[in-house]
Amino acid sequence: MFVVKRKELSLRERLFLPEIARALGHSLRAIFKPKITRQYPEEGLPTTEVTRGQPRLVVKEDGAMACVSCGLCEAACPAYAITIDGQETDRFIEREPERFDIDMLRCILCGFCEEACPKDAIFMSDELELADYSREALKYDIEKLKRPKAALQKRIDYVYRINERWRSSSSTS
Amino acid sequence: MTKIIIDGVEIEADPKQPLIRACHDNGVDVPMYCYHPGLSPVGSCRICQVEVKQGEMPPRIMVACKTPVAEGMIVDTRAPKAHAARRECLEFLLKNHPLDCPICDKAGECDLQDFAFAEGQGEGRSVEPRRKLDKRKSLGDVIVLDEERCILCSRCVRFFEDVTKKPQLTVSELGSRSTISTFMDRPLQGNYQGNLADVCPVGALTLKKFRFQARVWNLEKHFSTCGECSRGCSITVEILRRREVKRIRPRYNPDVNKWWMCDVGRFAFDRFNEEERIEGAAVRDAQGRLVETGVSDALAKAADILKVHPSPAIVASPWLTVEEGEVLLALAERAGVAAAFVAPPPNDLADDLLHTGDPCPNRRGLVELGLAAISAEEALERIGAGKSAILVGERVVELLGEEALEDLPAALRLIAFVRHPVHAPATNVCIGVPTAVERTGTWINVDGGRGPIAAARPAPPNVRPLTSTLAALAELIQRQEAPA
Ligand code: SF4
Ligand code: SF4
Ligand code: SF4
Ligand code: FES
Repeated sequence: MFVVKRKELSLRERLFLPEIARALGHSLRAIFKPKITRQYPEEGLPTTEVTRGQPRLVVKEDGAMACVSCGLCEAACPAYAITIDGQETDRFIEREPERFDIDMLRCILCGFCEEACPKDAIFMSDELELADYSREALKYDIEKLKRPKAALQKRIDYVYRINERWRSSSSTS
Repeated sequence: MTKIIIDGVEIEADPKQPLIRACHDNGVDVPMYCYHPGLSPVGSCRICQVEVKQGEMPPRIMVACKTPVAEGMIVDTRAPKAHAARRECLEFLLKNHPLDCPICDKAGECDLQDFAFAEGQGEGRSVEPRRKLDKRKSLGDVIVLDEERCILCSRCVRFFEDVTKKPQLTVSELGSRSTISTFMDRPLQGNYQGNLADVCPVGALTLKKFRFQARVWNLEKHFSTCGECSRGCSITVEILRRREVKRIRPRYNPDVNKWWMCDVGRFAFDRFNEEERIEGAAVRDAQGRLVETGVSDALAKAADILKVHPSPAIVASPWLTVEEGEVLLALAERAGVAAAFVAPPPNDLADDLLHTGDPCPNRRGLVELGLAAISAEEALERIGAGKSAILVGERVVELLGEEALEDLPAALRLIAFVRHPVHAPATNVCIGVPTAVERTGTWINVDGGRGPIAAARPAPPNVRPLTSTLAALAELIQRQEAPA
């Protein structure tokens, strides 16, 4: 059998009072140190251009969707989160999505869709929070996914910069 | 047979066929655009160039689709010179190609994409702007032409010349302005326009009905047989997300339809996509309403009816498969009556290419089984004369006429194995049946060839195959008779 022997406490330890005073001293010092905790959710999380939040769809300056419903993000998505149906339009670019659903419960925020898109139409936004009262509400449709281009500009610039670097360093040209 | 060597392997080739056929038949991939096995070769695109050495001559680059097979040929499809020639050819084809693959319906099954990926170069070197042409030129009710995507292979032109023998398209203008057009921009005519979308190796000719509907790699492809006429063309049924039929395309069958099919059959899939149907069964209750029940209850009710009112008139649909016909005959025998199927009169779609004008895909199979082919009038007469009747199979109500069924006396007991509820007052029992894309079986075509039909998608959970419900009814009748 294995017996744990308790250490005999000294008188000073048995009194506890000096220890309490020491703890209070720690607290007093901490009050004057800079704060490192954050009042979430009132205070949001800091985001940078590399933040890879939930995917969102770009609405161009002229109000049209940049997406042409080519289905490449759907094919690239490892989580099968995306479902797209296309339709014809009268605009110069003849095709646009009729339905574009991302099941946010399935999305693993991998960014493959962003990488696959040939039309710069889907980008990882800086939106990170995902909570709701039902599963259905977390299946985002096209209206919930649309964002003006300006809202995603930070990420778009970053992706372009990264791609440029990759292109110039790779040997194929 | 002629002996030749392709890529170091000696093979036997048919001297009447071009070299490209010998390559393809032996599993050697040679790209092609203007060549189509069903059309006369013209050798205009030059993408099929291979290196051929004959006798003492030095090896030469030749187009495999226009070169006949000759004894002792030594063919090298992978020779550096041949590869370079094909690569240059591709670069010129892509010089003016819009590269709008993300929008193009052909993407995923496009020869230009495939060969460019396999052999082409990654980036274009041309600095001139690409040509601008009409991207949405309507060629009638079926086809849209995207002039920018066209690579001028002239397959579409030759399709009308060689297959339907009524030329309608031509290449007009010159040089980079060349386009495909009809005479005076008249719309295309005829029942075979849909084949253009299949012969076009790129996305220049697309179907209006399929345009931008789905990406081809999302379509599940299932082999089946067309049910719109007694020719029974071999087809592929293409299903999106296990539910919707999006496209029907011909499947190569040397004995029946070769590479082609008619537009009537190609576009006859809307009926499969209708949502409304009986999922399970429905019986008429004491208040005279049709209420949903389980299939077993409905079958029991049907057996009860047949006990009180024996000798039903049995009228089947011409879309029954041979297997379903056999079970129906067994049921008829059990009930002591003869079975017949409704055969609508021939329509005016018959031509000398494929369509026979007879809308019954399995007329021959059912007649050989012993079912009589009767007209709708005769069928109604038979139904009206008896005390009970059994209608079997999809579209049988359509053929008899819903109004004609409404007029039947309410005292008649009608048992219907149908897809849509039959609201005629005489109906007592309705049992749901699967559609032609949800069942498996065989149709026998006009020449006696077997056309297998295969389930392309699952039927709703409570819709049982007709063979199983009919057999269950026959069993119930027998069990009721036994104690007596
Ligand atoms: S981020 Fe990844 S998992 Fe989420 S939708 Fe895009 S590809 Fe799918
Ligand atoms: S890859 Fe881009 S253009 Fe294509 S469907 Fe996805 S978001 Fe739209
Ligand atoms: S439309 Fe298609 S089939 Fe016709 S010439 Fe152009 S590429 Fe060939
Ligand atoms: S396929 Fe041989 S030249 Fe076009």
